[in-house]
Amino acid sequence: MRSSFFGLEIAARGLFTSQRALDITNHNINNVNTPGYSRQVGIQKASRPIGLFDGTGMIGTGSEITAVKRIRDDFLDYKYWSENVSFGEWETKKIIMEDMEAIFNEPSDSGFNKVLDEFFSALQELSKNPGSLQTRELVKSKGITVSKYFNSTAAQLQKIRSDNNYAFKIKVDEINSYAKQISNLNEQIYKSELDGNTANDLRDERTVLLDKLSKLINIQASEVVVGKLPNGKEDRRFQVTLNGSYLVNHFRAYELEYFEVNDATSPKDGMYDVRWKDSKNPVEPKGGELKGYMDVRDGRGINGEYKGVPYYIDRLNEFARNFAKAFNEGIFKDGNQYYAGHAGGVGLDGSTGIRFFSYEENGTAKSSAELMASGADMDSVYKNITAFNITLSSDILDANNGIYKIAAASSGGESENNENINQLLRLRHDTRMFDEGAPEDFMKSLVSNLGIDAQQAVRISENQDSIVQQIENRRLSVSGVSIDEEMANMVKYQHAYNAAAKMISVIDQIYDVTINRMGA
Amino acid sequence: MRVTNTMLIRTMMLNLNSNLARMDKVQQQMATGKKIRVPSDDPIIAARALKFRTDVAEIEQFQKNTSDAMSWLEVTETALANMGDVLQRARELTVQASNGTLTDEDRQKIKAELGQLKQSIVEIGNTTYAGRYIFAGFKTDTAPFAVDGAGNLTYQGSAVNSAPTGQEIFYEISVGNRMQVNVEGYKLFWDGTDERIFKTFTDLEAAIDSGDQAQINSCIEKFDRDMNQLLTIRADVGGRMNYIELTENRLQDDYVNFTSLMSKNEDVDMAEVIMRLKSEENVYRASLSAGARIIQPTLVDFLR
Repeated sequence: MRSSFFGLEIAARGLFTSQRALDITNHNINNVNTPGYSRQVGIQKASRPIGLFDGTGMIGTGSEITAVKRIRDDFLDYKYWSENVSFGEWETKKIIMEDMEAIFNEPSDSGFNKVLDEFFSALQELSKNPGSLQTRELVKSKGITVSKYFNSTAAQLQKIRSDNNYAFKIKVDEINSYAKQISNLNEQIYKSELDGNTANDLRDERTVLLDKLSKLINIQASEVVVGKLPNGKEDRRFQVTLNGSYLVNHFRAYELEYFEVNDATSPKDGMYDVRWKDSKNPVEPKGGELKGYMDVRDGRGINGEYKGVPYYIDRLNEFARNFAKAFNEGIFKDGNQYYAGHAGGVGLDGSTGIRFFSYEENGTAKSSAELMASGADMDSVYKNITAFNITLSSDILDANNGIYKIAAASSGGESENNENINQLLRLRHDTRMFDEGAPEDFMKSLVSNLGIDAQQAVRISENQDSIVQQIENRRLSVSGVSIDEEMANMVKYQHAYNAAAKMISVIDQIYDVTINRMGA
Repeated sequence: MRVTNTMLIRTMMLNLNSNLARMDKVQQQMATGKKIRVPSDDPIIAARALKFRTDVAEIEQFQKNTSDAMSWLEVTETALANMGDVLQRARELTVQASNGTLTDEDRQKIKAELGQLKQSIVEIGNTTYAGRYIFAGFKTDTAPFAVDGAGNLTYQGSAVNSAPTGQEIFYEISVGNRMQVNVEGYKLFWDGTDERIFKTFTDLEAAIDSGDQAQINSCIEKFDRDMNQLLTIRADVGGRMNYIELTENRLQDDYVNFTSLMSKNEDVDMAEVIMRLKSEENVYRASLSAGARIIQPTLVDFLR
């Protein structure tokens, strides 16, 4: 014999089930725009049936929602993180390379080529009128322009390095902050899942943090089963590793720290590097923004290294140094002397042995004699000249008689003698000066190199961007909330609710008959 | 595949963004007239742009150099022409002087005129151009020719036949191509074995004084010989001017070629860019209106 109110009991469950389902739908609709939110569905089951002892079998007892499930494809998260790391790296490189292109400002009417063109034009004018003080003044001022170009370009490149260094530091802080937040979430998730529930929304939050973290550095994230809990559920712990070491292990976050490198032999000298705070073991980022900053900041382009800012500074130094040496001494990169050079010529005042280019220290230009005394041999003398400090020698810079010392002539007392200046003019097309060829070829190859590298960074970052977007779209396809779908569900559950309520009123009528109308 | 609302909006935003980026690029090309803004836009175009800029700058410089070389040579040519006229007159006078019927007084008149011509020879040798003595070799700041106490012509303070050599002034008129612009003055008066022109005048004066008719006659031949040498030098100068003129023409052609190559390399075709901007604009408008249609309605709008 069934219990009298069994029907009411079933109908009430139907109400509860539909209400719970509407709640879930409501929650989904609310979070349609929440970043990282995964839609949730109620797992609805027929509730436990009751066995009948009269041989009829079992009778259903209605329905219930047994769990609220988060719809998510873990594989897509894994893919997202592994592609995002490369996106982070190349996007960073792209932005910095674009800055560098702006610094070189080529092709334009104010870049290096223009400066060098004008310098050689001034020399041409001097060659045609070596006795004229005006043309000498022109050569001097164009010479200053050339050296100033190097000074300011090198200084701006150095500025990019220090800006990157600062950004690097901030990114390390960010990683630590994310790791800390993930470990906190791990704790909350673990505790709320002890009774077998899934902490859907907290898990979503954690995934968002991992999305962000994966853009900064190469991480692996996984949930591992370490045993069974007393209640028979799996004991799941969440771990994030970086190069095989734990960044987050369950409730614990391991911090990274930045420190300034003080090692003149290292390309990172004076810059920040990153290591584990506890063990002080080094961390070598293999991807992400951190690697992007490091590569561009420190890459010298040697042995397959990335061609970062130091590479371009090195090349500018190389140019300044070798051009100064060739111009002053007529000595090329291979160490052979091909021309008499500026030092081999004679000035209007009969002076000879004067170097045109020199370097400055503490804002003071070295004289020709000081330059030559600064090293034991030619190589060590010219090692002192860098793109940062190249300038004209103080002999030439001298406001009173500097321009008389510009050595246009091959011998003294001959105002129209332009033999030496003509030799210096030959430097412009002498392809033996650099490995790349003549001075302009060197710069041309540098600029096209920069262009190609920047183009590569743009392409890779755009590709990675679209890959990441693609994966994100697939994630959204699986986990995203569709309002249409939720609306349909809403209508569905509303009808189910109405129907269950109707059942109650039908049963109510039955009872009304049996209780109130019988025997009356 | 499920399509969700966030997906729709994201895709629309991505598309709008990439349309805008393309429009921005075309707009930039239109505003600057250049195909590229930075080397990474097209490293090949960038490298070639650098080369063409240098080439054009050099050609411009060479054009200045050729015109300066030309001016120098024109002044030289005029001086040599004047000297030719002087020699021509001197020869005429010599022919007159060789006439045996002349009186001594007539001869002295001729001699006086010859003296003036002789003086102008020195003056022509000291011709200046923009304050520089063009026949002075490297020492253009001092007059190269003078007459010493003994009445001999000196070049830069020493005898003409012991003049310093190797003071040729070269201007670069195209890559690696240098043209001598000056004539070393002593070469007008010294052919390597004999002294010329000025010596002929001196010999003639002596012959007139001594009344040596045979000597006077031989001076006619000497003037012919001197004029020949002068013509050789003038021909050389003329040849150089010719060559410079050719170079000037070639530089002019090069300039046109290189500037047009430069333009082809880096400048945009305006008509094409305007067309592209127009079509990008259409694409953008279309994606805006498509987006506006797609994102608005949901089932919500149709439920009571």
